[in-house]
Amino acid sequence: MTQITLAGDIQRAQARAAAKSEGRGDIGLAGWIVIAVASVAALYFILGPLSMLLTAAFRGPQDLLPFEDGAHWTLDNLAAVYLDRNLYRVIIPNTLIFTIGSVMLTFAVAFILAWLVERTDLPWRNAVYTIVLFPLLMPGIVLSITWIFLLAPNTGWINVLLRNVVGGNTGPLNIFTMGGMILAQGIGLVPFVFLLLSAALRSMNPSLEEASNIAGASPLQTILRVTLPVLLPGLLAPLILATLITLEQVETPLVIGFPARVNVFSTRIYFELNPDSDLPAYGKAAAVALLFLVCGILLLLLYNHLIRRAESFVTVTGKGFRPARFALGRWRLPALSFIVVYALFAAVLPGFVLIWASFFGYAFPSFGLLSSISFNGYFDLFNNPRFWLAVSNTFIVALSSASIVTFIGIVLAWTIMRTRLPGRAVLDFVSFLSLGIPAVIAGLASMLLYLSLPIGVYGTVMVLVLAYSYRMAVATRLTRASLMQIHAELEEASSVAGGQWLTTIRRIVLPLLTPSLVASFVLLFIIGFREFTIPAILQSPDNQVLSVMMWQAFQAGKTQQAAALGTMIVLFVIPVIFGLRRFVLARDGKD
Amino acid sequence: MLKVEELERSYPTPDGIVHAVRGVSFEVEQGSFFTLLGPSGCGKTTTLRCVAGLEQPTHGRITIDNAVVADPANGIFIPAFKRDVGMVFQSYAIWPHMNVLDNVAYPLVVRKPRPSKQEIRDRAMEALRLVGMESLAARSATKLSGGQQQRVAFARAIVRHPKLLLLDEPLSNLDAKLREQMRYELQELVARVAITTLYVTHDQAEALAMSDAVAVMSDGLIAQCGPPRAVYDKPVNEFVAGFLGGANSLGATIADRDGGRGSAVIDGNAGTVNVPLADHIRSGDRVEIVFRPEDAQVTFVPGAAGDQVRASVLRLSFQGGLTESHLKVGDTVVRSMLHPSVVAEPGAEAWIQLNPARCVIFAARPRDQQ
Repeated sequence: MTQITLAGDIQRAQARAAAKSEGRGDIGLAGWIVIAVASVAALYFILGPLSMLLTAAFRGPQDLLPFEDGAHWTLDNLAAVYLDRNLYRVIIPNTLIFTIGSVMLTFAVAFILAWLVERTDLPWRNAVYTIVLFPLLMPGIVLSITWIFLLAPNTGWINVLLRNVVGGNTGPLNIFTMGGMILAQGIGLVPFVFLLLSAALRSMNPSLEEASNIAGASPLQTILRVTLPVLLPGLLAPLILATLITLEQVETPLVIGFPARVNVFSTRIYFELNPDSDLPAYGKAAAVALLFLVCGILLLLLYNHLIRRAESFVTVTGKGFRPARFALGRWRLPALSFIVVYALFAAVLPGFVLIWASFFGYAFPSFGLLSSISFNGYFDLFNNPRFWLAVSNTFIVALSSASIVTFIGIVLAWTIMRTRLPGRAVLDFVSFLSLGIPAVIAGLASMLLYLSLPIGVYGTVMVLVLAYSYRMAVATRLTRASLMQIHAELEEASSVAGGQWLTTIRRIVLPLLTPSLVASFVLLFIIGFREFTIPAILQSPDNQVLSVMMWQAFQAGKTQQAAALGTMIVLFVIPVIFGLRRFVLARDGKD
Repeated sequence: MLKVEELERSYPTPDGIVHAVRGVSFEVEQGSFFTLLGPSGCGKTTTLRCVAGLEQPTHGRITIDNAVVADPANGIFIPAFKRDVGMVFQSYAIWPHMNVLDNVAYPLVVRKPRPSKQEIRDRAMEALRLVGMESLAARSATKLSGGQQQRVAFARAIVRHPKLLLLDEPLSNLDAKLREQMRYELQELVARVAITTLYVTHDQAEALAMSDAVAVMSDGLIAQCGPPRAVYDKPVNEFVAGFLGGANSLGATIADRDGGRGSAVIDGNAGTVNVPLADHIRSGDRVEIVFRPEDAQVTFVPGAAGDQVRASVLRLSFQGGLTESHLKVGDTVVRSMLHPSVVAEPGAEAWIQLNPARCVIFAARPRDQQ
């Protein structure tokens, strides 16, 4: 998997070399129009909502939109939020415990798995690689709900099972606690971190360890003095990214944390916008978001620093001698058991409970129940026009935003790499910044922007497309990485051969970029398809998507229908994920 | 000093077992420079890695300084870190998280018992001075050029005066000009440290210029082993002849054999050469006459002496200090070097004067196998 970074030193040098073809006399008017449109769109998608958010934090009273009649400049919102002791006594400690706890769990599990697959003689490594990625099939909102099915204090399956042993009327385990949140969140993020960690482990030049071996260092000395220090930045970077992602999570804190009365940053914003009784508190939500945004951007900069250091550690590699694999010996069985337990809790049980609940409801499974199978969950769904509206909304939003962002990403990446356009560094920075903007903030900021702009998109599918399209980083980085592999002379040759700029782009650049375009499109499509936070914040009757509909069904107590919806979401995602998996593995040279 | 006997190494892969090394034996004398030369995939690097202790042989025995370090039949395998060898890797393997001095000092730092800090520093600096890098001792390893990395790698390999120095294609990652310069430098360094050296390369010029002895490898076996000049002058088969410098080859038939010699009639009756013959070649056999471009003298008038082959000029290509000529003998093209003052039109008649003492005769392979 390609790491996402700001331009590193190597990239700068290559960009300089590419820019030697100074002036780019071949771009022409049409070309500049394309570049201008894409740049303006990128800046708008990211900075437009953000500037509205900044403004809103300083406009009051809090229940008015920033530019509604009667709104004025004020510091009331900031005072209300940051002078509130609740923030320092509850929200911040909770957020820290939740984030640090989940990330530690994620990292420990993902590191063990990645190490087993990449550096030991574990049997069936390729199969394990696939199994670890399996939970990617389930969007966070579905996964959180299945955890409730499994670990709710009264009816959760695991509790029912355990009570047969330990007795009692409730428990013994309870998902609606901080521990439960950490467990659900921590396990859910394992596949993503595993992908990054295994790539980092794989990218290490095995000669570095061999040289230490030759120099007379024992295996333990080699691990302590060479392996770990060399890998450190490559391992810390995914850790930081996982922290960023966990911090912006809304699903787990909402589904599990709300009943548990554990409030974190992201849910605080969400509840300011959806208070039980009051009007939405735009100003306060925006004020909370400011600190949140600063944290996100700081983490992002730290991440960038680490990745650049990791890149500078990538040395010339010689022949493809595989690194020596650690012989597991009698640890083989414990290692396999670890994987089985992981698979059980991360994929098998959640998958089974979801499908079972969609046919039999929430009851503990037994053979006696088999006769009571009911397809009503699905029938109700298929007969409900709102379901089909949600299906088409989900596809429209995911497809359009993925197309828009991929297109802008290509143009941006090309402009940054191949031209000397003044301000291209700004484009680079802003598009990278989008990685540090939590979805809940993107949702809130879009809400403020499109409620204020009199263009009539609020409440439609369009507003979701516009709001989703801020995720520029994925497309720009993936495209730029592969653009670096394409020598600028290939384009110049087309130019010399008589091709105009658009012809060169269409016939030379785009075909050569196809793999990274497909990757970025599919990735963005999946992100869009699974997205819950933004559509939940921006929801209205006409623009509901599947994840939001499932959440509402679950909240309304229609367990069976919610489970059926969750199953349908997974069914829709499977083909796409498998396409991506084949693609990623083919590129990493793994089968 | 180093003795490798019947070395075999095979790996299981998804496509079946790969035999990388299939029975290699050689001996390297104390203080000499020994080169394993061959195309990629011939097993030379695997052999080196077995000597280093980075790979376990599947069969055979390796002895360094009278101590057996690998003998799978008797369950002996000494891992690399206990072998006291120095190695320069193809990728240099400079640790990126350390500076230049720390890289070079590492073999001393991990040694047991650990020398004093002062001694470690002095010896590392001495090694750096040897490679002319002492002024860059504090530089970060990520900020070195290819040539500098190579020097640091060399300093690190010799800093603890190992018994054996292993060099795995150390020049192949450098660009052409730097490669030539570093070749001379490396040669001088190796001579100065006087450590027994095992060198692996696919570059015949490096091998011939630097080595006391060369083993040409092909397909997991040693095809020929000996001093560079002997291997160059008397290749044992066409592979060795072709791999070491350009070789011309003409098909011929032995007309009559007389004692240790016989006359070979070049195909198309282009000439007759009186050549020394091995015992197994008989009258009427088909042979290949193999000779170096520099051993083919071209004239444009027939001379009085024998051992001439009639040819026609295909093209001459002026290359400054010399002119390379391509001549046609029947359907075969022969390369030779001419003085740059020579000019001739394509199609002109020419004669190639061969020196039988510098020709090598092989029994011809059947045509369909070529």
